Amino acid sequence: MGEKRYRYFAGLTGAQARWLDKMADQGLRLVRTEKLLYEFEPCGPGQYRYCVEFVGHKSRQDAEEYARFLEECGYRVFFKNINLNWNVGKTVARPWADPGGRIASNATTFNRELLIVEKENDGTPFQLHTTREDQADYYRTLRRPALYLFAVMTPMAVLLRSWAAGVFALAALAMLAWYQVALARLKKQGGLEE
Amino acid sequence: MRDNAKGGALTEVTFTILLALYTPRHGYAVMQFIEELTGGRLALGAGTLYGALNTLQEKGWIEPLGGGARKKEFVITALGREAAERELARLRALAAAAAEIMGGALWEKSDIATSPA
Repeated sequence: MGEKRYRYFAGLTGAQARWLDKMADQGLRLVRTEKLLYEFEPCGPGQYRYCVEFVGHKSRQDAEEYARFLEECGYRVFFKNINLNWNVGKTVARPWADPGGRIASNATTFNRELLIVEKENDGTPFQLHTTREDQADYYRTLRRPALYLFAVMTPMAVLLRSWAAGVFALAALAMLAWYQVALARLKKQGGLEE
Repeated sequence: MRDNAKGGALTEVTFTILLALYTPRHGYAVMQFIEELTGGRLALGAGTLYGALNTLQEKGWIEPLGGGARKKEFVITALGREAAERELARLRALAAAAAEIMGGALWEKSDIATSPA
């Protein structure tokens, strides 16, 4: 039995990757995940590096094909949930997703919205998206669910006077602002339009 | 990945992927080829490469090789070769024009360093 830690990062993919990097620096390599559980086995200090990517907009087939491609590139891949949802037999609509991924259920990408990607540390920064155009596309992808969450939660917060919905609406707004700033920064660096 | 728009130029990513696939290669081999070709200057992330390979497949410039290979290999198509050849012609014309304007023989850095201002 390896080391176990319980953490929840929600949509903070960067924070999740940094935490996994830190664990690897302490000589702990990820071997298994559950909803809140991360299980580790011993490894050399700093032997591995991690990226966490959102794939909840993809259809199951697309997500698995992408994961297989990453494995062929020599990486290890884990699917991870983004939300804490304990329902069994759940189906949700995702109007913001790609065609084929718009109805998510336990059999598709529901509770498998994130990919944790592990790479042997070769001293270079581990990035999955390296061109500005591609990074911008990724931020635009992330912006859509945030926009949807904001559009749904804001009227709920106001009309139902629900503070919980208000918290979600604010979180969605913060996400939107974050991605917008990231996009603006990319645009300023140039090269988005060729 | 957005190529051309008006000028018809390929992005460096597109062009180097096409060059890599004159020989059938799987994804990781494409990444390594490009890194070696550019002396490490262009290191493609796997996610970016994945998106680029999909886009090029949709354009019909590359295609997956059949057969039950363990790793999925891709190869350039006739259409892809045409695009790569157009790009080479464009780069040649551009380089020739630049050499004419800038006084040729720019291959040696010493020339630039010692030329009078």
